[in-house]
Amino acid sequence: MSLISRSRSQQSDRLPELLIPALLGALVLIYFAIPFVAFLARTGAANTITELSTPKAQVAIRNSLLTAPISTLIATVFGVPLAYVLARTSFVGKRFIEALVILPLIIPPVVGGAMILTAIGRFTPIGSAAAAIGISLTNSLIGVVLAQTFVAAPFVIITARAGFGAVDERLEHASRSLGYGPLSTFWNVSLPLARGAIIAGIILTFARAIGEFGATMMVAYNPRTMPTRIWVDFIAGGIDAIVPLALALLGITLVVLTAVQWFGRVPTVIDQ
Amino acid sequence: MILELDRLTHRYGDELVIEDVSFGLNKGELVALLGPSGCGKTTIVQTIAGHVQPTAGQVLLRDRDVTREPPENRHVGVVFQQSTLYPHMTVSKNVAYGLKARGIEPNQLDERVSQYLELVDLSEQRTAYPSELSGGQQRRVELARALAPEPDVLLLDEPLSALDRQLRTQLREEIARIQNKTGVTTLFVTHDQEEAMALADRLIVINDGHVSGSGTPRTLYESPPTPFVASFLGRSNVFPAVIASQRPLTLRVGHQELVLPNRETTASVGARVMCHVRPPDLALSSTGPTGGNDFAHSLTGEVVSVADVGCRYDVRIKSISGDAFVVEASNSPPEPGEMVTVELPRDQITIFKSKNQDYDSTIDVPETEL
Repeated sequence: MSLISRSRSQQSDRLPELLIPALLGALVLIYFAIPFVAFLARTGAANTITELSTPKAQVAIRNSLLTAPISTLIATVFGVPLAYVLARTSFVGKRFIEALVILPLIIPPVVGGAMILTAIGRFTPIGSAAAAIGISLTNSLIGVVLAQTFVAAPFVIITARAGFGAVDERLEHASRSLGYGPLSTFWNVSLPLARGAIIAGIILTFARAIGEFGATMMVAYNPRTMPTRIWVDFIAGGIDAIVPLALALLGITLVVLTAVQWFGRVPTVIDQ
Repeated sequence: MILELDRLTHRYGDELVIEDVSFGLNKGELVALLGPSGCGKTTIVQTIAGHVQPTAGQVLLRDRDVTREPPENRHVGVVFQQSTLYPHMTVSKNVAYGLKARGIEPNQLDERVSQYLELVDLSEQRTAYPSELSGGQQRRVELARALAPEPDVLLLDEPLSALDRQLRTQLREEIARIQNKTGVTTLFVTHDQEEAMALADRLIVINDGHVSGSGTPRTLYESPPTPFVASFLGRSNVFPAVIASQRPLTLRVGHQELVLPNRETTASVGARVMCHVRPPDLALSSTGPTGGNDFAHSLTGEVVSVADVGCRYDVRIKSISGDAFVVEASNSPPEPGEMVTVELPRDQITIFKSKNQDYDSTIDVPETEL
């Protein structure tokens, strides 16, 4: 009993010293909340349902639901092994590789999109070679995936790398000495122990991919995904025209975030 | 021999961590690898386990060269200082982990897990997760996990160093019992000389990446092969001397001479030597400020300080030759400032030839051990 009351009083003792950071933090929170609430206030339920059932909106939703998971999958399958290598080794030029991983995060997506175009656009060697066998790398769903992956993959790589870094290497050594090779050690020990961080990274990557606009607009303005559809609708009809799709996009992201956290039993993304 | 290291050398970049380390372990032996922290012990362990590829030299397990084999092909059990239990597996899953890799039949798996959990007295905890166990219990699960696949060699790398003193002693006895029962060939790595001497059949003392001495605890303590072993195993008083004459061997310490009949040394007359003598082998007798140099085996000095360590007094003395001594007194110690005579035991002085003329004569007496 005395223990509990003491810890309570200790908590309240800490309040004054936390007052200033708490106030500063509150200002950011308010700034986050106001636009959100204001935007939601323009919602009319009936209008939203009708708008979302139009063919144009349906196509955009379908395209986004198709491309974002694929981009996330690609980023995870290739990014997690890279994260593991970066967490476990040091080599000459590692800083350069790390800078390369962060590059898509720090350049504006629209510039990233332009860069992708210069690499795989229709008149580049890669783009024309692909076109020759009937694959269009731009203005196609493949183009959307390429743009999304470019912009969103760093999230899973960076978070998974931190996750692997937090796994004590001696746990892997013990597994090796207990008779497991490097691959099964990765699968049995490293991967499960870094799971929380990897899941957090997957969520961030998915959220970034499904909301991707800048690079997608450059690489594949058509077929429309939800973000490009929102842009087109906004140009034509202003804010009110985009409320339904924006809400749907928000809804999808929230559902995925909740579902992944539920199955992955991760408390919150930020805790990781 | 179960395990043999042959001229093992390893460098990290330009830094030579171990050089020409050779030793072997016979079947069923419990050998302690003893040395101060940073002496290269862990590198030796990592090399045996296969987590470090040595720059030169060989590791042989059951006479097979495994130097270039990955850890999983070696059949070496490892327990580190920090827990490496898998937090996402229960106690029994942790113990079963190594068994599965060795292809133990599923129907025998449970039995083997139970057998080893029983050995470490943790049968009740089989469904618990490591985080639910105490530090000592975690250590025991690690032992069970390392032992269950019945490795050729068990490597214990400072397994007790993270525990408090009482638990350490308790688990030390536990390890001795388990080792005795399973008969597993064990290399116990520690920086704690008391732990090593209490546990091991044989000690290998490592200093600065080299083997500085090896043998039974008693041999190494009573006739240390190197100055390092003399000062690292137990406490030691060190003082420089010059060989004044041979037959009988006479040492000049400052302005006094020590005659050691029946002793020989290969050092020639005039050579500088370092003498080691254990504090319990010294005796004190009071002396007046002027004299008391009648004994050919005693030195005069002034009491610097007296520390009461409970079971005895540690009397620190500065001799008139300028050397410091620690003498153990069981009762009525002298007062600081008093002049006393330190009686040296003729037969228990170990003499080492100085490597160079500027041999550091600062006395290095380890911290008080009760």
